[in-house]
Amino acid sequence: MRMLNKVKVSKIGLLIVLIITASACKDYLNVQPLDRLTGNNFYQTKEDVEANISNMYSTFFDKINESWVIGAIGEARTGEIVASPGGNSYNERRVVEVLGRNQLLTAINNAPYAGFYNYYRITDWSGYYRVIQSANILIDKLNEGIAALSTSDTQRYLAEATFIRCFTYFWMVRLYGDVVYYTAPYQADPLPREDMVSVLNKCIADLEPHKDNMPWVFPDAAQRGARASKGSIVALLMHMNMWNAGFDPSRATAYYQKVTALGQELVNSGAYRLLNMDDDGWAAVTKGRSEESLFEFYRSINYGDNVSNLAPFGDHFLRWPYKFPRFNNQLSHCYYLSTYMQKLFPASDADKRKDIWFEDMLADNGQFVARKFGLNVYASGNEDENPDNTFLIFRYADAILLWAEALANLGNEGQAIEAVNMIRARAGASSYAGMSGTALKDAIFMERNRELFGEGHRYFDLIRTRRIMSSTWLAWPLNQDQFTRRAWTWPVSTNALVNNPYMVLNEYWLPGGGGN
Amino acid sequence: MKSFTHYLIPYIVAGRALLAAKQTFLTVTLFLVNGLFYQLYAQTIVSGVVYDQKKITIPGVTVIAGNPPKPLASTNGRGEFRISVPDGSTLVFKFMGYIEKRVTLKPGQTTVSVVMEEDQSNLEEVVVRGFVSRSKQLSTGSSVTISGDEVKDVPVANVEQLLQGKVPGLNIQVNTGAPGFRGSTQIRGLSTLTVSGSGNESFLQPTSPLYVIDGVPLDADGASEFGFQQQGPGVSPLSMIPQEDIASIEILKDAQATSLYGSMAAYGVIIITTKRGNSEIPRVRYTNNTFMKAPPALRATLGGNLERQLKIQQILANARGEINLDDLIKTPFLSDSLNAYYNNSTDWQSLYYRTTYNQSHNIAIDGGNPTFNYKANLGYFTEKGVIRNTGFDRYSANLRMEYAPNEKFKFTGQINAQIGKQNKGDGAGLLQTGVSDGGATSTLMPGPSFYQANADYVGSLRTKNNNDVRVIRPVAEVSYSIFPGFRATTFFSYEFKSSNEDTFTPAAANNQFAKVYAFNGRESNLYSRTNLTYAKTFGDDHNIFINAFNEVRKGDRQNSITRQERTPNDQFQGPLGFDGYYSRGGGILTNFLDERAVSFALATSYDYQKKYVVDLSYRLDGSSGNGFDNLYSRNPAIGLRWNFDKEEFLDNWDWLNMGALRLSWGINVIPNGTLERIYGKYDITGNYNGQQGIGLNFDQIPNPNLKPTTTTQYNAGLDFSLFNNKVDVIYDTYYKKVDNLLFEENLSNTVAFGKLISNDAGIVNYGHELSFTIRPLSPSSPFNLMVTVNGAYNRDVLLKLPAHYGGQFIRFETNSGNRETYLQHNVFRVGTPSLSNYLLINEGVYATDDDVPINPATGLRYSVNGVPFRAGDPIIKDLNGDYVLDANDYARTGNASPLFTGGLATNITYKGFGLNINASFTAKRTILNNALADRFNLMKDPFGLKAVIPLDEFNMWRQPGDVAKYPYAYDYSRIEIINPYRYDQTLWAEDGSYLKINNVVLSYMFDKKLVRSWGINNLRVYISMDNVYTFSGYSGPNPENVTTMGRDISEGYPVPRTYNIGCNLEF
Repeated sequence: MRMLNKVKVSKIGLLIVLIITASACKDYLNVQPLDRLTGNNFYQTKEDVEANISNMYSTFFDKINESWVIGAIGEARTGEIVASPGGNSYNERRVVEVLGRNQLLTAINNAPYAGFYNYYRITDWSGYYRVIQSANILIDKLNEGIAALSTSDTQRYLAEATFIRCFTYFWMVRLYGDVVYYTAPYQADPLPREDMVSVLNKCIADLEPHKDNMPWVFPDAAQRGARASKGSIVALLMHMNMWNAGFDPSRATAYYQKVTALGQELVNSGAYRLLNMDDDGWAAVTKGRSEESLFEFYRSINYGDNVSNLAPFGDHFLRWPYKFPRFNNQLSHCYYLSTYMQKLFPASDADKRKDIWFEDMLADNGQFVARKFGLNVYASGNEDENPDNTFLIFRYADAILLWAEALANLGNEGQAIEAVNMIRARAGASSYAGMSGTALKDAIFMERNRELFGEGHRYFDLIRTRRIMSSTWLAWPLNQDQFTRRAWTWPVSTNALVNNPYMVLNEYWLPGGGGN
Repeated sequence: MKSFTHYLIPYIVAGRALLAAKQTFLTVTLFLVNGLFYQLYAQTIVSGVVYDQKKITIPGVTVIAGNPPKPLASTNGRGEFRISVPDGSTLVFKFMGYIEKRVTLKPGQTTVSVVMEEDQSNLEEVVVRGFVSRSKQLSTGSSVTISGDEVKDVPVANVEQLLQGKVPGLNIQVNTGAPGFRGSTQIRGLSTLTVSGSGNESFLQPTSPLYVIDGVPLDADGASEFGFQQQGPGVSPLSMIPQEDIASIEILKDAQATSLYGSMAAYGVIIITTKRGNSEIPRVRYTNNTFMKAPPALRATLGGNLERQLKIQQILANARGEINLDDLIKTPFLSDSLNAYYNNSTDWQSLYYRTTYNQSHNIAIDGGNPTFNYKANLGYFTEKGVIRNTGFDRYSANLRMEYAPNEKFKFTGQINAQIGKQNKGDGAGLLQTGVSDGGATSTLMPGPSFYQANADYVGSLRTKNNNDVRVIRPVAEVSYSIFPGFRATTFFSYEFKSSNEDTFTPAAANNQFAKVYAFNGRESNLYSRTNLTYAKTFGDDHNIFINAFNEVRKGDRQNSITRQERTPNDQFQGPLGFDGYYSRGGGILTNFLDERAVSFALATSYDYQKKYVVDLSYRLDGSSGNGFDNLYSRNPAIGLRWNFDKEEFLDNWDWLNMGALRLSWGINVIPNGTLERIYGKYDITGNYNGQQGIGLNFDQIPNPNLKPTTTTQYNAGLDFSLFNNKVDVIYDTYYKKVDNLLFEENLSNTVAFGKLISNDAGIVNYGHELSFTIRPLSPSSPFNLMVTVNGAYNRDVLLKLPAHYGGQFIRFETNSGNRETYLQHNVFRVGTPSLSNYLLINEGVYATDDDVPINPATGLRYSVNGVPFRAGDPIIKDLNGDYVLDANDYARTGNASPLFTGGLATNITYKGFGLNINASFTAKRTILNNALADRFNLMKDPFGLKAVIPLDEFNMWRQPGDVAKYPYAYDYSRIEIINPYRYDQTLWAEDGSYLKINNVVLSYMFDKKLVRSWGINNLRVYISMDNVYTFSGYSGPNPENVTTMGRDISEGYPVPRTYNIGCNLEF
């Protein structure tokens, strides 16, 4: 018996020891890894969220930074840009003429352009999907709740992440047409492409509820324009609605109404203004973080930001004294045809933009300078660098003109003219005194071309208004068949077919599709 | 000398003592009274010596006499005893592992010489389960024990290779001869589908068993985590154990045996026990081996003018036009034969290979009695590699002491200190491809001198590489028996390992910039274990045994490297200090480790009259690597054993000495959920608006649903001994299913992530293992013969792949390697062997142009890349029938997993002479003879600076009408177009079966009396030869020198042959 008792005692003792050690073990086994950041210890603080959002912006910017992207996607495909003989890398720069003939496959694949511009990178959308996955995951984490964030911070970051997601889809729609759309975090299963109108409608529905959770301005002036604000969301919503108005004509009125309401809200807010049209005023706008900026990718030499030499649109249209060193920057790489510039800025019309934004505007050679992008000349002497500009995406003037366009389309011409005149007045141009109806719409379109010269809007305005099919508006129009088969899109890299049985590429650019 | 372990184990483990009941108890008591009381009975003083059958004295034998019988003494270190007993007493001699011997003294007899016979039934063997020794008679799992004696006579750097062919189901392939490196080890077949690397250097993720060395679990794959060329610094822990110090090695194969070791044991367990002190009088034993390593035959090469003539003939005979002939003139090393620079016949290969002479010394000192004993083992081993500028040195000192003042308390302390120094030549790891590249240089080029015609030579031979690992491992164990049957043991060890590698690459080998590389790593492992054991017998028949233990581990590792270039000259080798100009990167390596683990295990065993045994065990394994939600993995096991020889109805089967049936089931679980896999990894990257970005790494998508890889194993075994133990048979059959294997799925680019680590793959291994031992001669015969044959049959089948692959996944090699492109693909197809080759089917050579099939639709001949085949080209099966050879013509063919493995051992002794022959075999596996493919591909470019080989021995097409095996090699311009020697064809697939005579040992034990007169206690000399001969139908140099993927890497480090003379001295 004594023995048995001992056994019992020892068993109980053993049990107690085991229980104590087992409960202590959980703490012992929880090792926060020092050597890597894993998802379990990330998204803990406000700084984590900020860092994650910075990563998304910079990931997106990498896509803009990978070649002369803004020029290639938004400006050069209309055929008015010519490489200037005698300029640097003349043979390679002639890609602008190839793009101008909509010969994207040549521009992407053929020497000497292929090795210099690497436009094949534009056909690979995986970088955009990185942004989307990141945004989806952050939204998921924010919805789960991050204890360290106040409610208003959570709302703001939710709105910002949603903006980034929707902006990326919008950008991809304009590049590729139909895209794969998802909002689930950690999406792993392949999906088919979805009709672009539907994608944008989903984005509008996704983004709208967040608009009012976002302030117009942040206390920190460094975030103005550089980070999504309510103005950015409004501008994006306006753009998405205008795009769908063009491709979903049966519901166009509803889209226009939304745009007018948003435009009105934006103007009424008083949060943004048009800066003066003089060297200082415009330099401030292109430097970034200005009161005119609704959304931009802010880049600065002060932050050591790595901007590729090709990336800024203005790079191709600047020469000494806007670029250094003088001996190899005597000529701009490219110029706009004088016929187009004359049409844009008729000699008879007074317009400060002619003087502030251009030098030798009608030169038809490498003397041509788009001063618009040259005012923040790179600080130090002889380094071959581009001016230190931001990458403007949405500007107040852009939103006002979209608003005017929607108003005109709804027949509210008085207000539309008022809106256009806000832009013309700032430029020191005469008030609009033209006809109504189509003439007004055309005038608004021309005003957009003028005001947004080189900002990557022209080609997309042509597409959504169908003007791309008329030689009135551009040097290399598409025909109806090309338009229907989406000759305006970019080809999608065949990598998209890998591991995705549902994937179809853009038919126009496939062999036999008619594209070149 | 298996006696040392066996002798001590009853006292190590209290549970065992109780099981063994009275007799053992008496034995234990003996040591308390030993030498104190025998004078009380003084009547006659009897002295004597106890020998075994080989006339070797046995220390520690218990001598029992009296009525009731009492243990009176035990033999000393020389096997001698001295007792005082009544006249005419009967003495009983007992010793673990030997048959009890009774001697009745004749009246007046005062000296006695006793010969004890070894107990061949191996029933009394002990096995280790969950760090506790148990009688093999009660073990339900499948395991094999190898005694230290079997691995002592052939000097090797890594003792693992001597296990080859000794254990059925343990497949060891000695596929590298690089000193200090390991080959590959698998227990019971393939356990992974993860293939890393590319081309010829693709390798399977190593799935080595868990090694438990003196109670401390060690990871043997440590030094190979980066693959072949990336082989990190460090020396395999198995190379650090001197073979002379090994007492026994036990291999656990089934899940019942391994589940107590938890997650790390999913690939089996190998337990190595070193020797313990065991001699009343201090004893010094010295072992010396002097051995020669000889490289295998080198590749025949045409030298000097023969090479030039062949190349010129080749060009003249196969030129396509004037332009090729002009090329000949423009190639001075062929056309300018009078130029002294080109007028050589350099034997490049012999510059790299050599025969080396090496030695090892080992001194072991031990002494003490069961109360207090000690041992010290000092070892030195040096091996110079057969490739110049490579080698391995080991210095080791292992000390151990045990103190057990009484039956209740016991303390053990041990310190192992080892230094391993490896010279890796050009530092590129075990393949040494620089050597084979350099060895294939044209013989016309001048040999090494002040001027270097070939940078590989300098790279391989003048690079200074020193890779040393220093390990120190103190171990302490305290055990205390609180009351009879119950014992608590605490075991504690701390291992500290410091690894350094320094490489200096001279300027000539690195584009004229000398390079300095320094690796510095440290690693520590803290390990602690607490055991509670309880043994109890209820009534006479029911025995229970409970073993509960808990393990705590903590591992740290940090490695860093420095790389700098541009020293001023080769004389100045640094230090350079840091400077952005010199630095070529470096920093802390990614294999940083901070891991903690805790586990709990409970094993219970019940037996009825030792006839029916039930084992139940359960283990919980927790590791900090598992993420936070699911900390523990669970490893249950059940084992049953029926010792049917104890049944009464078999009593009259006299020829049956022992018979047992075993059944077991168990699960080993390896958690897959690392934090990185579950939550994703975040990188500090991107900068926006003045703010540092941190974003997800898109290599792999976080997968919170990862399940642990689960290995379920069923085992059935039958053991029996017949005819007075003349025949022993052990048979096992198993079914091993691996579920939730990791499988990397590639993802669509619209989800941004590169791959998904899923675990929807599964494989099954099943097979049979048989070991058959026969001792035909009577124990009393001076001749002693033992023959053991063992074999294992293992088949693996792919069970499952992620559903959307539709049952097949093809792993295409891509053209990315820096070496020549070995585009050999693999296919994983459900229902077939897991990892099969995916190649073009070669069906010979077109004898004439007319043999090439014509497409009836187009009238065009079968073609590749638009070029029609013709006579002399390989016939490659047009599987899809479109008359075009392309990626659609591949087929699943052959796989590298051997179907049969096994070995054969013969042991013959006659008086002092002993002869051991060990052989091993591997059969039914497909290997790809890339060595031959490489040789044919040397013919591709007669203008190039490569050597050429004679092709006379090959059945090659030479003229129309020849029916040949190998395509025409001399038409160099055509080789470029149609690539007849492409690697992705079955022309190179050969049967890799072989039978290898691993080693032969001939030994002689000098007569004791003779050597005593020389002041020596024992003297044994032996000669041995290792890697004696390989019988094989394989046309390459060595069918064993292949990767786990079955690709010939004989261009890498060849396996040398070893000739050895050794002696054992005992003072």
